[in-house]
Parts: sequence; structure tokens; C-alpha cells
Amino acid sequence: MNIQKIVESLHPLEQKVLPLLDRFSTFDDLVKNSGLKEVEVMRALQWLQNREIVKLTDDVKELVFLGQNGVKYVKDGLPEKRFLEAVKSKPLSFDQIMKKSSLTKEEMNICLGVLRGKAAVMISKDKGEIKVKLLDQGLRLLEKGFMEEVFLNKKFPLDISTLKDEDKFCLDNLKKRKDIVKVELDKKKVAELSDLGKSVLKSGIQIGNVIDRLTKEIISGGSWKDKKFRRYDVQINVPKICGGKKQHYRRFLDQVRQKFIGLGFCEMTGPIVESEFWNMDALFMPQFHSARDIHDAYYVKEPASMKLDPKLVKNIKESHEKGFGTGSKGWEYDFDVKRTHNTLLRTQGTACSARMLASPELKIPGKYFGITRCFRYDVIDATHNCDFYQTEGIVIEEGLDFGHLKGLLKMFAEEFAETDQIRIRPAYFPFTEPSAELFAKHPDLGWIELGGAGIFRPELVKPLTGKDVSVLAWGLGIDRLGMFKLGIKDIRQLFSHDLGFMRNVRVI
Amino acid sequence: MPTITFALKDLEKLVGRKLKIEQVEELSGYGKGDYEGYDNETDEVKIDFGDTNLPYLWSVEGVARLFKRVLGIEKGIAKLDSKKSGYQVKVDNSVGKIRPYISAFVAEGKKIDDYLLKQLIQLQEKLCENFGRKRQKVAIGIYSHKQIKFPVHYKATDPESISFVPLEFKREMTQAEILESHPKGKDYAWILDGFSKYPILVDDQGNVLSFPPIINSNSTGKIEIGEDQIFFEATGLDMDSVHLATNIFAQALSDRGFSIGSVEVQYADKKITTPFMFNEVVELDKERIKSVLGLELKDSEIKKLVENAGYNFASGKVQIPHYRRDILHQVDVIEDIGIMYGYDNIKEKPLVSYTVGGSLPIVALIDKAREVMVGLGCQEIMSPILSNKFTLYNQMNIKDFGTVEIKAYMSENYSVVRTWLIPILFECLSKNKHVEYPQKIFEQGLVTVRKDDEAIDHERLAYASANEKADYTEVKQVLDYLLRMLNVQYSIEETEHDSFIAGRVGRVIVDGKKVGFIGEVAPVVLIKWGIELPVAAFEINLTEIFEVK
Repeated sequence: MNIQKIVESLHPLEQKVLPLLDRFSTFDDLVKNSGLKEVEVMRALQWLQNREIVKLTDDVKELVFLGQNGVKYVKDGLPEKRFLEAVKSKPLSFDQIMKKSSLTKEEMNICLGVLRGKAAVMISKDKGEIKVKLLDQGLRLLEKGFMEEVFLNKKFPLDISTLKDEDKFCLDNLKKRKDIVKVELDKKKVAELSDLGKSVLKSGIQIGNVIDRLTKEIISGGSWKDKKFRRYDVQINVPKICGGKKQHYRRFLDQVRQKFIGLGFCEMTGPIVESEFWNMDALFMPQFHSARDIHDAYYVKEPASMKLDPKLVKNIKESHEKGFGTGSKGWEYDFDVKRTHNTLLRTQGTACSARMLASPELKIPGKYFGITRCFRYDVIDATHNCDFYQTEGIVIEEGLDFGHLKGLLKMFAEEFAETDQIRIRPAYFPFTEPSAELFAKHPDLGWIELGGAGIFRPELVKPLTGKDVSVLAWGLGIDRLGMFKLGIKDIRQLFSHDLGFMRNVRVI
Repeated sequence: MPTITFALKDLEKLVGRKLKIEQVEELSGYGKGDYEGYDNETDEVKIDFGDTNLPYLWSVEGVARLFKRVLGIEKGIAKLDSKKSGYQVKVDNSVGKIRPYISAFVAEGKKIDDYLLKQLIQLQEKLCENFGRKRQKVAIGIYSHKQIKFPVHYKATDPESISFVPLEFKREMTQAEILESHPKGKDYAWILDGFSKYPILVDDQGNVLSFPPIINSNSTGKIEIGEDQIFFEATGLDMDSVHLATNIFAQALSDRGFSIGSVEVQYADKKITTPFMFNEVVELDKERIKSVLGLELKDSEIKKLVENAGYNFASGKVQIPHYRRDILHQVDVIEDIGIMYGYDNIKEKPLVSYTVGGSLPIVALIDKAREVMVGLGCQEIMSPILSNKFTLYNQMNIKDFGTVEIKAYMSENYSVVRTWLIPILFECLSKNKHVEYPQKIFEQGLVTVRKDDEAIDHERLAYASANEKADYTEVKQVLDYLLRMLNVQYSIEETEHDSFIAGRVGRVIVDGKKVGFIGEVAPVVLIKWGIELPVAAFEINLTEIFEVK
């Protein structure tokens, strides 16, 4: 940048500080002579440094300050001096010294230590009483004065680097004692003009000739016509802001919903508190199935049971017991009608598919999807949540077979994993036969498990729909997909409460 | 989750062929198993059979049987080498209500080494824990045959009347004592809850074999290395399941070259010889194969695939192996035909029917509401639906107004379904005290409120603003803008709500219906959450607003 441009871009604060720099270099001087606030001078210096006009260095000094006791002793005299004065005329007991010199017990102890170290006093027993006696050395101290006292009477703060050896000795002694002196680091900025800075200064800074902030008055008054605008540093770092934003995972789920709608799927739903009927029985999961244990599903205290359509219950009972005329032998056990009304928190989105099949609104051919919250008894860790999303759905139409199911799964792989490379493996789900697991080769992540699918068993389709029609059923592991897309490693972050994370997480 | 381990060498011996580990991985897919790994040092293979309904695969013998059929080394149902042993188990009526069924066999002809013993115990455990529902439905006992004087008697007795030394113990205990102080007794006592008599298995001399389904006796119920004659029994609540577990075990031993001796189980009203051959048959319809798999197969192809899948096939009828009970309908067989044909070889077809997609009707309202909130500079959050009463009520200075509680929860933090959203927003605010203010957050989501016999889900939206200047005016502005943009006419009514400052809380009314709250949150609540800034908030019921509109 040439010097002219630099001059035009100087901020008013810089304009004030810069001319001072050929006379002053310390921060304090600059503040004093510029008439600006400390923070303003600081900002100006930093900007000038960014432009390489100024070189800032830290002048670090170790300064000695008086502590609380230090201030007191300057006024009242050092305790050891007062101690000596108390025993100057005759040996005294501790209590007498304390009274006479008005020292605290703590100070007394320190004095004794210090003075005995200097061989100024001795402790002797006089008629069974402990007394402190002044020695010659003590007398001499009293006459000559304490060098610590001399030190304390200097003008503080003191710059350690300027101290003489004897002062340093005093300082070390006093530092060991409580709150007499304290040493603090003092960082002062020192500004020095660079060569560039000198040239800028030499070229002359015209203050007041440029427009800084554009105002209503400048615009309408026309003064902008014959003035220059101060140039800005367009590369400047500005403080970060954050705006309103959709939650990261919810945004992903919104996109998933839009995709399904685009593929011709209608959204379906169901209640959070489900009956065993819709969650399991209607899906032909026998009542003795292990996924129904109290420690696999969250059963609910109240309401303990849910109203159901008795005709549907009868159909499903018959299906479990004898196969409902589908050619199946059924599970061959006594179906518990009371139990089927029991309530639990929905464990699988397939419950919504069962409801859809029995709904009068069901259309054939039809495609349905649900993005539903499901709940399972699980220890919560980086890969498990007891509260999670499932995406499930059905395609119902006469004459659909496993080939169509594969076609459907391939379409999902293309839509959700951006690949047409899929692998379909045999799997087991209680409500589908055949059943399959879908793997897709994601361009970045390699083979990932996308979900499970199959053709609903006739034992559940016929009692719910009254028909023997093909129903393709599928579920996608949407939480895992979401984690892939969002680059999240811990499933708990899908429901994060970390505002810092949410404000900074990207929208693409 | 049945995960089984076995030696690759053993699998190869049973299959009769060298196998590459990649082959093991691929072949286990045919049994719906996930290959989990191979340890070079120990030669151990691990396969997870997850949720499958094929318990016969939970042993290396079963896996080998499957592989042999897939590879074409054998076909059809495996033969069970069994003869009548002449032994009897006599079932007393007293077990009728407690644990009515038992089945048994004897096996001999091979010496049991350390590895085989581990394999047998593995199969026993998987069958008891997973298939047998933690021993309740089926429990299995294996014994040294030599010490048993037949017939064996299965009966129920008073818990104090018989004492014996249970496995791994030194002193005699009564059944009642075992349930109280033996580790296995404590683990499985729940199965016998509420019964006044307990099952016991004794031989003809009155020596105790075991206390099903809890523990074997220490004298007979222990297999030593080198043993070559064993007695097996399974007891349980469901006859079919007991028979199936027995058949799976007998077939596994038979595959290893043991000869199996069947045992006659004498019930009061019937005699059953076990292992019991179910002799099940399913009719296979060619049209159904076509309609399920989309494959037009010739009779000869069908026969080959069915036999590869381990069934016998004759004149359109499929015979089900005695070690499987998962075939309820011909579609179950058709799936196996598909697996043997290869899922990869079935051509994918597009869906051609035209259907119109669409979201739930309320979603449009929900999404617009969220859009407005985001436009106002609010950060959306999304939280678990499960919460706890402390958060929802104690922390908000109010009383429970109808909560759906979980009977047996894993963690108290997640023990109820949330009934409102503002406490959830507070949970979030309280975790972000170090983050820059102002904090303006909202959540849109489901809550469930219990009313009489019903649990009712509502879509709600709640907003909270935490900053030095947060006040009623600010939230009212937000609410007003939101409802105006959604074209909802509303009014605010004075009300009382202990989460809010008295005199600074209102009820939101739409079409005469109370659809929400708005106000400045009471300091008593702020203190509980450790928040030292004013917070103003509102919560509205979008489901009710949607119904009114």
C-alpha cells in the first residue's frame, strides 16, 4: 500500500496517536498527551501495528509495592524496633513488652525470631519469670537504625532493577514476612515507529480532511462531494456475531422429510404412549418375544391401558393363535387380550406403520413414511440414546415383490447415501419375511449400514387390512445417518444443549 | 444377543473342508449372522447371531451344518443318529402348574475334552438365556450318566423337605436355602416366585440330580473331562420349546459322532419319546414364490434350493428339520429359497405407481412457526423427550399436572415424558452460563400430558430469552409477531402461575381456548437453576392453535 493510501485510511484514533510517536514511546505518555482513553490508545496502537507502522514491545518491570503491614510500619515503626525500645531500660516479660510496644502476638513471635537472629536480645529466667533482655548488639541497632526501615521509607513502587545489593537484601528479608512488601510484574507497552511509520509521519497527516462515518447530514448536506472518505482496512478482523438458526439435527430431519415427500411418500404418525397392541401384537410379535421384557421397553405407570378397536384385537388374537386364515399356523399360544391393552413408550416406528395399515385413510397403492421419536431401555453413551428418532415406512400395492423392495432400497441409498452401490444381506425381523439389511457404499465413508427392510408377513397384513396385499416395510437408521452428515461422533450431540456448539455448527 | 465363539479348526473338521476366513464371513450371512472377527493366536472365530430366530445356529455344530448345505456338501435335514435307550423319566402331577414339561436323552461314544465341554456349555447358556428367556421358558441340565439309576423322577416338593449339595458348594442345602444364599439361586429365584413347591429331579434311588431351573447337584450334575456318557434334560413352561432345545442339543452331539439314546417321558396322561420329531410339513406354492421373490423357478430349481436350505422336499411339500420351529408360513421357507438363490441375484425393479407425497397437516404450521422464530434471531434447540419430575416441577416451583411415568426406568434423569417445554429451555440455559448473552432459544416439539385415562400428545413451541434486559415487553413482542405472522388472533388474560412473577404472567387465549403462558420467570426459579439474569418466556400449544385455525 502506498503512503498516501495509508494516510487516507487512518482512523481518527490513529490520527491522534501517530503524531505523538516521534516524541513519546511509552503507553502512559501517549495516553497523557493524546487526551484519549487508555483503551482508545491501545486500539490505535494495535491497528498501527497491524499496518506495520509501529512496533509494539512489552517493557516488563518487576515493581515492589508496599503491603498493608508495610504501610503500617512506615507510620508506626518496625515492630522489632518497637520491641527493642520496650526493653531498652530493663528486661521485661512477654506480656509487659506486648503492652508497652502494642505489638500483636504474631508480631512478637516474629520480632523474637529476628532479634535473636541478630543477637540483639536474649531470653533469661529471672526469679522464675521469663524475661527478655537487651544485648549490646541490640543497643547498637537502636542507635544505628534498621536498614529495613530505611528501605521501607523509600518511594514506592520501586523498580527492582534499580536496587542496590543491600536493598535487595532487605527486600528478600521483608518478602519473607507477612504483607510488608509485594512484588508485581508490570507490563508496559512501548511503541516505536517503523521506517514505514517514519515516512508516513513525514508525509504529513491532515486531520479533519476525510470523512470517517457516513452520516445522514453528510449525505444530504453534500459535503461528501469534495471530501475523501477515510480508507478502511477491508481485511480487518471483526468481532463474531451469531444469528438465529435451526437446530442442526432438526434441519437434517427437515431435509429427510422433504426427500420422502418428493419421492411420493405421505407422512404418518402415532402416539408416544402406545399400546402393546400397536407396538408389537399388530406386528405379529408374539407376546412371549424377548423385546417385550420390562427391561427392553419402557412400560408406563398411568394410563396403564389404552382403548382399542375390539374387532382388530380379535383379528390379531386369531392371527397369533391360528394364523387368521393366511395359511400360517400362527404362534400357537393363548393370546392375552388384557395384556395387549398395556401401555408403553413406542419402541419402534413400525407401530405407526401398523396403525396406517388399519387406518380408513390407507390408500392402495400408497407410500408412507414416519419420522418418529422412539424409546428404549438403554444405557446412554456415545452410541446409544434411550430417546431417538426412527424413520420407517411402508409401500403398499398389489403385486410388489422382493425385486421392488431392492429397487426401493437402492433409491434410498441414492437419496440418502449418494450412492447406487448397495449390498443386501439376509436379516431377521419378527414382522417381515423375507427380511434384509441394507448396506450402502458411501463415497466418503465406505460401507455403512443404512437400515432394515422386508415384506410384511401375511399374518399381520391380512388382519389389519382385510386383504392379502403386498406391503414393503423399511426402516432407516436416521440417527446414524444424521451423525454422518453432521460429522458428529457422539450420538448425544444430536440433542446437544451446548449453545456454543449450536451457534457455531455449520448449516451445510 | 447370542454371540458364539469356536475354533476355526473345529469348524473345518465338522464341515470337512478347509475354509478361508473371508468364506466364514460370507457364509455366516446365510444364517443372518454377523462375523465379528478371528483371533489368529487362539484360532477363535466369533459370530453374532443378533436377534435371529434360529437357535440351532448358536453352536459350532449348527453353523457347520448350515455351511455344509450352502456349500453343497450335504443337503436336506441332518440325520439324528438315535436309538431307544429304554430309559424313562416319570413326571409327577405336582409339577403341573410350576414347570410342567421335561424332555431328555442320553449320548455316548465320544470322550468330552476341555474344548468340547466349553462348546456344550456355550450352547447350553445361549439356549437357556436367550431362547429360554433367562431359564424361565427353558432350562437345561447336563449330567454324568453313569451315576444315575433310572427311571428318573421329575416332581415338585416342599422347599424344606429335600437337601442336597448344589454345584460348586460343599454343604447340603434345602431348596429354600439355595434360593436364598446360592449365587445361582439368587439370580433365578424370581422364576419360582409365588410357588409353594419347587421342582426337583431325582433318580430312582432318591439321589438328587438337580433343582430345575436353578442348579444341578454337585455329585451327578457335573461333567468331568474324559466323560463319555452324558444325560441331558430340558425343563420348561412350553412343551414345543423344551422339545426344540432338546433336539438342537441332540443333533449337535449327533453331528459330532455321539450316538443318541432317546428317553421316554411318562406324563400322567401321555408318553412322549424325546428327542421328539415334530415331523412338520409346509406346502409350497410356486405362485407364492413368484409373488414374494419375483422369481419364476422350475420344479427342479426349487427342489435344489429348498434342499440347500436344509429342508427335505417331496411332491410340493417341504419337511421342516426337527431342530427348527421358526416356520409358520410358507413365506418363511420362501425367504430361505431367496437366501439360497442369493439376494444379490434377484434383480431390482422400480416402483412405478404414482403416489402423491405430503407431510402431516400440522407440519406446515410448525415449520412456519420455526421459520419466524429463527428470523427473529432465536437459536432452535432440540432435546430428549424423556425428562424427570424434578426438572419439570420442583425446579419450576409448580406441582405435577399429569405426567406419564415409566415403570422401570434406567436412569432417573429420563424417567418421565416431558409435560412442558420451558423447563427444558431452562435446562439448556443453565448449561450455558459461560456462553455469551443475550441467549434467545426456542424448542418446538412434542409433550405428553396425562388426563384421566389418556395420554395426550401436543406439539408445543416454547421460547426463552435470557439477558440483562429480558422482560415481559420483549417476549410479548416476539409472541405477538409470531402469532400475527401465523395469522392467529389472540388475547392475553391475567393469570397466576408459580413459575412466573405474580402480576407479570398471562395466559394466551385463542378462540376462547387457553393455549399457553407468557411472562417473566420468577426469581425463585432462576435461583434454582443458578441463572443470575432475568429470563422471560412463553410456551404455546401448536396442536390446539392448529385445530382452531
